[in-house]
Amino acid sequence: MGDPRRSTIQSVDRAARILKALATGPPRSGVSELAERLGLAKTTVHGLLRTLERQDLVEQDAETGKYRLGPEMLELGNAFLDHHELRGRSLLWADTLANRVGEAVRVGVLHGRRVLIVHHVFRPDDSVQILEVGASVPWHVSALGKVHAAALPNDRRRTLLAGALPQLTGRTIIDPHVLAVALEEIGVAGFATEDQEAVIGEAEIAAAVFDHRGHPVGAIGVAGPAERVTPAGPSEAIVAAVQDTARRLSWEMGAPRRHAVAARRPRVDAG
Amino acid sequence: MSANQRIRGASAPCDAAFVTRWLRGCAAQIAAHRDYLTQLDAAVGDADHGVNLDRGFVAVGSVLEAADGLPPGELLVQAGSTLVLRVGGAAGPLYGTAFREAGRCLGTARTFGVAHLTEALEAALQGVTALGAAVEGDKTMVDAWLPAIRALRDQAGAALPDALHAATVAAEAGAAATTAMEARKGRASYLGPRSVGHQDPGATSTALLFLALERAAG
Repeated sequence: MGDPRRSTIQSVDRAARILKALATGPPRSGVSELAERLGLAKTTVHGLLRTLERQDLVEQDAETGKYRLGPEMLELGNAFLDHHELRGRSLLWADTLANRVGEAVRVGVLHGRRVLIVHHVFRPDDSVQILEVGASVPWHVSALGKVHAAALPNDRRRTLLAGALPQLTGRTIIDPHVLAVALEEIGVAGFATEDQEAVIGEAEIAAAVFDHRGHPVGAIGVAGPAERVTPAGPSEAIVAAVQDTARRLSWEMGAPRRHAVAARRPRVDAG
Repeated sequence: MSANQRIRGASAPCDAAFVTRWLRGCAAQIAAHRDYLTQLDAAVGDADHGVNLDRGFVAVGSVLEAADGLPPGELLVQAGSTLVLRVGGAAGPLYGTAFREAGRCLGTARTFGVAHLTEALEAALQGVTALGAAVEGDKTMVDAWLPAIRALRDQAGAALPDALHAATVAAEAGAAATTAMEARKGRASYLGPRSVGHQDPGATSTALLFLALERAAG
């Protein structure tokens, strides 16, 4: 993150870095491992871990003495989701959308260079599916991320396009110029399509949701097998259902009429 | 069998019966390891790898029933198309493409030897990487395919069973090595570093297909 640490409290910053290290590293880490990873003294790390442990934010394995994230983290994560306005408002709409199209629905928000999935409704059949809430995907391989990015001001869009664009499949768009043109088209069409750009065989169609200031706050999309979601280009029925849902959700979030109106016209011309 | 056929058979030991044994062996291996594959997939994917592949290879079995007299390449193409249709997920397109490309490489040949088989498996891998853009070390099926093909190339000139045994050993070692890798492709890549410590289901099923290939050679 940025450099203005001077106005922040160093120990809180370090404690947060320990939590993030535990979240992204191996499931359990020892004091020395963490100290080395974070470039801190062992005694400092030990003291921070003991403090975090008292708050149940980390816990120590009795046998190995190694540390992992504590149960309180789940409470905090759940609280984040519970207080997330877009997620809260999308619960019913997402269910309705999933039933209408017979596919899974995901709600996501841009967080840095990734899309954080804040809500996921399973495809309404009896197949085994894994909950993706809390997962994050690179923004450019997700219809949720692309449609959110397309609605951002130019400078933020340029920042996204200027960063790393990892290739996840043979279909991932990794050329920033191609992606920039795609975002323009998405902005005009009012929806984004992702066709096997993240996972082979899977596709997604998404539309952005706007708040009372007319700013994009996230996106809602239908995800499923490419042969149903993008049989020959985006499924018109799914595009219509997704745009309809995004428009209603935006209205609920207090979005100005221009966004709702712009999203209402179902256009299916963007590849 | 005529003397001529016997001589040609010595240098070109593979035929439609061999390919049929391979595909049936694939079905048997996948069925036997269905729950194990699904378990592996539950850790890094969506817990459907074993079930989906099993459904696909059962369908391949029915296709084989009706495919009497076809050249080996055509059998593989039909098996591939069946897998694309019936497996779903990422494994369907990937394995479907692999078998189809291998079949196309064999063309209309009635028999073929180790060299042509190696070429066909290379074509299969090329199909897989064109779809998935995965390279070695990404924690995907490529990590089992590539070592197997390298082993086959090293065994050029060896007898079929020896060459295929070396390929199986290499594929199994490659699959085992994915445990320590961080996934950079596919759904498992969503997990980032948390994917470390789990063996990749795709690499594992690829190793099973090479084991079936080795067994088909007797």
